[in-house]
Amino acid sequence: MKKIIQIGWQTLKKPSAYFSLGFLVIGGFIAGIIFWGGFNTALEATNTEQFCISCHEMENNVYEELKTTIHFSNRSGVRATCPDCHVPHKWTDKIARKMQASKEVWGKIFGTINTRDKFLAHRKRLAQNEWTRLKANDSLECRNCHNFDYMDFTAQSPRASQQHSTSLASGDKTCIDCHKGIAHQLPDMKGVEGWE
Amino acid sequence: MTINRREFIKANAVAAAAAVAGVSIPTNATNLITSSDITKLKWDKAPCRFCGTGCSVNVGVMDGKVVATHGDIKSPVNKGLNCIKGYFLSKIMYGKDRLTTPLLRMKNGVFDKDGDFTPISWDAAFDIMAEKAKKTLKDKGPTAIGMFGSGQWTVFEGYAASKLMKAGFRTNNIDPNARHCMASAVGGFMRTFGIDEPMGCYDDIEATDAMVLWGSNMAEMHPILWTRITDRRLSSPHVKVAVLSTFAHRSSDLADNSMIFTPQTDLAILNFIANYIIKTDRVNKDFVNKHTNFRLGATDIGYGLRPEHPLEQKAKNNGSNAGDSTPIEFEEYAKFVSTYTAEYTSELSGVSVDKLNALAELYADPKIKVCSFWTMGFNQHTRGVWANNLVYNIHLLTGKISTPGNSPFSLTGQPSACGTAREVGTFSHRLPADMVVNNKAHRDKAEKLWKVPHGTIPPKPGYHAVLQNRKLKDGELNFYWVQCNNNMQAGANINEEMYPGYRNPKNFIVCSDPYPTVTAQAADLILPTAMWVEKEGVYGNAERRTQAWYQMVDAPKGAKSDLWQLLEFAKRFNIEEVWPKELIEQDPSVKGKNLFEVLFKNGQVNKFSLDEIPEDRLNDEARHFGFYLQKGLFEEYASFGRGKAHDLADYDRYHQERGLRWPVVNGKETLRRFKEGSDPYVKAGSDFEFYGHKNGRAVIFALPYEPAAESPDDEYDLWLSTGRVLEHWHSGSMTQRVPELYKAIPDALVYMHPDDAKKRGMRRGDLVKLVSRRGEVQTRIETRGRNKPPIGLVYMPWFDASRLVNKVTLDATDPLSKQTDYKKCAVKVVKV
Amino acid sequence: MKIIINIAKISKIAIQTLIVATLFVTNVIAENHNIATLRASTSIDTQATPSPIANVINKDIKQARNYPMQPPVIPHKTRNYEVNLNSNKCMSCHSRSRTEESQAPMVSVTHFMDRDGNFLAEISPRRYFCNQCHATQTDAKLLVENDFVDMHTLMKAKRAAKD
Repeated sequence: MKKIIQIGWQTLKKPSAYFSLGFLVIGGFIAGIIFWGGFNTALEATNTEQFCISCHEMENNVYEELKTTIHFSNRSGVRATCPDCHVPHKWTDKIARKMQASKEVWGKIFGTINTRDKFLAHRKRLAQNEWTRLKANDSLECRNCHNFDYMDFTAQSPRASQQHSTSLASGDKTCIDCHKGIAHQLPDMKGVEGWE
Repeated sequence: MTINRREFIKANAVAAAAAVAGVSIPTNATNLITSSDITKLKWDKAPCRFCGTGCSVNVGVMDGKVVATHGDIKSPVNKGLNCIKGYFLSKIMYGKDRLTTPLLRMKNGVFDKDGDFTPISWDAAFDIMAEKAKKTLKDKGPTAIGMFGSGQWTVFEGYAASKLMKAGFRTNNIDPNARHCMASAVGGFMRTFGIDEPMGCYDDIEATDAMVLWGSNMAEMHPILWTRITDRRLSSPHVKVAVLSTFAHRSSDLADNSMIFTPQTDLAILNFIANYIIKTDRVNKDFVNKHTNFRLGATDIGYGLRPEHPLEQKAKNNGSNAGDSTPIEFEEYAKFVSTYTAEYTSELSGVSVDKLNALAELYADPKIKVCSFWTMGFNQHTRGVWANNLVYNIHLLTGKISTPGNSPFSLTGQPSACGTAREVGTFSHRLPADMVVNNKAHRDKAEKLWKVPHGTIPPKPGYHAVLQNRKLKDGELNFYWVQCNNNMQAGANINEEMYPGYRNPKNFIVCSDPYPTVTAQAADLILPTAMWVEKEGVYGNAERRTQAWYQMVDAPKGAKSDLWQLLEFAKRFNIEEVWPKELIEQDPSVKGKNLFEVLFKNGQVNKFSLDEIPEDRLNDEARHFGFYLQKGLFEEYASFGRGKAHDLADYDRYHQERGLRWPVVNGKETLRRFKEGSDPYVKAGSDFEFYGHKNGRAVIFALPYEPAAESPDDEYDLWLSTGRVLEHWHSGSMTQRVPELYKAIPDALVYMHPDDAKKRGMRRGDLVKLVSRRGEVQTRIETRGRNKPPIGLVYMPWFDASRLVNKVTLDATDPLSKQTDYKKCAVKVVKV
Repeated sequence: MKIIINIAKISKIAIQTLIVATLFVTNVIAENHNIATLRASTSIDTQATPSPIANVINKDIKQARNYPMQPPVIPHKTRNYEVNLNSNKCMSCHSRSRTEESQAPMVSVTHFMDRDGNFLAEISPRRYFCNQCHATQTDAKLLVENDFVDMHTLMKAKRAAKD
């Protein structure tokens, strides 16, 4: 066994005597593409709603709650899936978020929120994580679809157009400041700004 | 007139602003009207017209019209609050289609069952009614005459109707719509305690530590009690609220423990709690030994369907033995409930073991004071009396009863289901003050107080609500008068039983209502009726509170109160036409008199003169008949209960008070019954006494879980539950005519889980048919409304006259209470 | 000339009266034949096709109250607004402290009173569930008009009679 490994290692260490440099460069490039593609495909597979709700924690809690909201069912049928709001679209941010997600895998394994009651007990912390993230990135995931520049205030209710044309326009407020709990139920809002 | 520059600019600015806002401003802006003779409103108190909570409202009148209503700050029930319906009471009398003339189905100038409704005079209306009633009496006798009344009748109306039917026409075929609503509660009380109505009162809410809702959506159906529960829960953080239901709804929003259970398994959950109390050794042995008995009830009692139905053929004890029970010992009871373990109950009900244990602990923990609340979830149940018995079991096992904060509380649906239907006894088997027709001593007493000969009241119970419809269909009930309810919309299985019954050519149907309802549409004669503060009244709410109001406005010309109608109709019958010779011979003084004279001009009802009515008060009926009719009826009625633990105060006092809770002894109301020191009827030294039973003990019943009459199967794959909504009262005949309430919730939709819709290729707004074995109704799907059914169950309210969900429901009843189960039948939903 | 105008006027009034009278008569007869006012004139064993689900009015325009004590109706959508143990979405705009930012009307002072009429520092828990008194309005067409007359109309009539 040891011998086999040694032979293999020696072979790998040896400079190539059979393949041209060109072949190696191009081949390496292609292999790189294949590897990279595979990685991203795998990554994207974790970026689908199907993947998210394959865990009952997601399916029975947040996804169930989403079903009655406007981000699920609405006039034009353009709906938000889990990753649309919860996974950054920029690659570096996405990777960072995916690394954080390893903690969620940990939670899944140890059943941190495997019942409704446990989920509710953690809900405030979980919600606050998302609010903080969205506040910090100026509600980037909201803005991926809801672009301020193209909002038609005349098509909005007077109340909405008034607030969007002032506080949102000036950058004083960002989406998440007012639109909490639009896709899932809210946690206990005691001590949350604007809800006292 | 001069105008300076500054004023000119100001005026222009206002005009410009108004123009932008699309408002026109009169050129000479008017000042406020402040002169007191013009702005003055006449305020008076009345109980709300709607639910059994019994809120008091202040009614503002100007120029003979109700112009404002608001919650009565002096009322202990609602302390100044109303729900949205109550706040819009001002408008319920002013729907444009108020009826003002009797309407008879006619063709070529004469009555015709298939004719068109034609205006006739009141005289002509009573002529045809009397003709039909007399013919029925002559051809078939009193059992072919019947009446369907209401828990929304005033006390006098129910009392007069009951007396007219039972003593006048000598038929017990009078039943109130409270049969649909409270009959199981009555059965539960009579069986466990031997006396009707709750021992506790609303004050228990402010004194309790835990509140459990059993299949009741109080947030919508008893909104003002819900404000008290919310107040208690939010202002005292240690208080817990548990909500059990077959679907999530607005009451779930306040729940610390929200439980969705499979329909009918509430029976198992109740037994599980009893088992839990016993297994954790928290039975209050002292209380149980001194104040309770154990009994084993008969089982397999059927479903109150027609006798030829396969389910009835199969049932062993669905006859008169359904209510039987035998005495047992505590050990036998403990063994009986021992099979209801948390695991078994969890599997049956779909509620997690943790939640079940948390719920049971609220009852078991001796340190927690607990109130239970229920209405239609328990009562509209083919085992409704059982459900009531079983919830008393767990309060009795722990002794959590009749003390502040410990209260098993049966809520009432209608404003006077307690006051009129139950206390007056307008049921087919009842007499006032908990007496029954099949008890000779009770009949004797009633006949004596009514000053009618012995043997006047027939001993056999009459047709109850569901049986009335079957008898109408079978052509055995031929003269039928419906007052103060809308049963063609409210009753179950309209298609197979009620509609064919009303339209049976053998039958003559009279419907008294302020508005043209679905029932009116099915009737042969419609009588325009005065309502609410257009007459003087008394209502009795769920906590035994009796409340009175004066007439405040005139009814529309042509509309007459139910009471006026009953008494005028009585005038049409000579005693010789309704009573046999033997009876008349007993009291020859009745000879030649009419029913009005015998029953209502009897020296009691006409005892009080018009002088006793305050001069500034309207009272159309009293002034019409020439004596203080309402007071006379009330006092004669009250004589049944005084000294019998049903004492009422003097009539006049109720006009001064915001209601009093009976028994009113020595001028004092009773907050909690059966507890020494609080209830004057409890013997000194006994601590508790359940004096409804001769031995002073309440009964703990061993009763099992038995399945529903109809459950979903492969074809009819969904449970259907029906019910009410906050914004509409019952069938919507009043509230659908208030624009704000109509626009708040105009149509009855079917509430469905989004996955159930998706599975069927449907979505919100789709036009669908709800189909059962009995009929179908079309409506549209709602997947995200205020009610959130679980997968496998749909909910559709019944307030909508244009979408009659009761074409679909099953007329299965509790065999003991004869109350229909509107909460469970099997349907399928298909696209139209 | 004057006479001609007068005749024209009179005949116009007469025609109007006639039209009104005719309308009134047909109306009465129609009502007698059709008492199914909430049922789109359909018989009980049939059913009119249910109208589409009505839309909630979202115009933010206040509606005059019928009397001062009437709870105002909600002039905007409230879809998915939560009012429960965790949060009260309504109060995130209508509470006293939030109205400056939201420019929404503040809940009335009565809402601060407890059962005994004492004013609390915050909205009374008994008023916590806003939807018990306040409802949104849909664009559904009324089936039956309501003849309620408000006090202002009556007072104006009385004052006019006095003058």
